[in-house]
Amino acid sequence: MKTKQTVAVIGATGNMGSAIAKSLSKGNYRLLLKSNKQDELDALVKEIKSRNGNADIEAAVCPVEAGWEADIIILAIPYEAEKEAAERIREVANQKIVVSIANPLNGTFDGLLTTPDTSAAEELQKLLPNSKVIKAFNTTFAADFSTPVIDGKQVDAFIAGNDEDALQIVSELVATAGFRPIIAGDLHVSRTLENMQLLLIRLGMKYNYNWLAGWKILHN
Amino acid sequence: MYESFFRNFNSKVALTAEEEALIKNYLSPKKIRKKQYLLQDGDICKNIAFIEKGALKSYSVDDNGNEHIIQFALEGWIIADLYSFLTGEPATYNIDAIEDSELVLINKAAHEELLVKFPKYETFTRLNITNAYLAMQRRLTSIISSPIEERYSNFIAIYPDIVQRVPQHMIASYMGLTPETLSRIRRRILSK
Ligand SMILES: NC(=O)c1ccc[n+]([C@@H]2O[C@H](COP(=O)([O-])OP(=O)(O)OC[C@H]3O[C@@H](n4cnc5c(N)ncnc54)[C@H](OP(=O)(O)O)[C@@H]3O)[C@@H](O)[C@H]2O)c1
Repeated sequence: MKTKQTVAVIGATGNMGSAIAKSLSKGNYRLLLKSNKQDELDALVKEIKSRNGNADIEAAVCPVEAGWEADIIILAIPYEAEKEAAERIREVANQKIVVSIANPLNGTFDGLLTTPDTSAAEELQKLLPNSKVIKAFNTTFAADFSTPVIDGKQVDAFIAGNDEDALQIVSELVATAGFRPIIAGDLHVSRTLENMQLLLIRLGMKYNYNWLAGWKILHN
Repeated sequence: MYESFFRNFNSKVALTAEEEALIKNYLSPKKIRKKQYLLQDGDICKNIAFIEKGALKSYSVDDNGNEHIIQFALEGWIIADLYSFLTGEPATYNIDAIEDSELVLINKAAHEELLVKFPKYETFTRLNITNAYLAMQRRLTSIISSPIEERYSNFIAIYPDIVQRVPQHMIASYMGLTPETLSRIRRRILSK
């Protein structure tokens, strides 16, 4: 797409929010970053601008204003915080793409807070019935964004959702971040995707991957 | 967020509060800053934009890089590359904001569903397209048959608010004139 899309990142100073903002700033996007930590946010915007003079990026005043201007809203916040955030942005997110990156992990990292018949993405869709919720970026660690090629292989990044157009637009986002986008299926496939990251975290802890690990589908 | 949209809608076809609430589900509020693009040529036009606040223009760019303004749109107006929106072919127009603006976007899927579910939306759409057709016919007739001075006088008579808000060089582009020719014409009209 030639027309520059505006992307709002809510929770932009977190591990994922800042990694996503940095990598998308290299693409044809206008970024609006929102965080409650104003000093950290200003520093992040400054850092991105100093690395890339062409970056079209700004700190946003509030999530509602950012969402109002945005075409795509990325919630880079914990699963537990999504209900409150969804309530704030519901009106401005109408008919827009909202990206769910959350993995609803429990406190001990050995299970999910969601029941098997749902997922964080589907719960978000229930909270934002008129938005196009797309699952993406949940199977990639924050550290992978600076190294999307691991062991010589480009990390795959899975995407799930119900709107064809929105899936394509988010695929472009994922490709801009340096990953290979794979559209996995409808939004309910998020259940599998969220469990995949639980497994990767467990394996990472067991075998000491040091958070630099990812999924790669081998096929011929 | 939707005040002007529903005021405009109700002036064409009256809606109940319940209908308004249901139609709202299909609309998308969008803010856009001055000089930002809503659409670039080559992309598919996915939305019809209703202007709540602000001003936008659509234009085509020729092989020499010159802009030719097709349409201005102020509060209460609609702007899109309708050809691209309706056929799904790539757009030949660019649309950008002349001022910071607030829009109500209706995407293609929402538009199709609204047409099926709400006969009043179909009436609203018919009236919008009829008005757009009339404006286009008026513009075409004036371009091919009226003397330049008369074209400009007609334009300021019909669209006084555009003349107030939009820079002269854009009006010149809309009229198919160079800014110099337009200012000569304005002087001539003023001196009459
Ligand atoms: N870390 C990873 O490698 C990774 C990988 C895949 C997916 N994810 C998912 O990405 C999301 C963000 O993870 P993260 O690792 O970036 O977390 P993080 O570093 O802790 O950042 C989360 C951000 O969310 C905001 N926030 C809003 N409400 C909050 C609340 N109630 N409690 C805590 N923070 C709150 C905070 O920013 P404010 O200053 O604005 O409050 C914070 O900076 C999570 O849903 C996670 O499951 C993470």
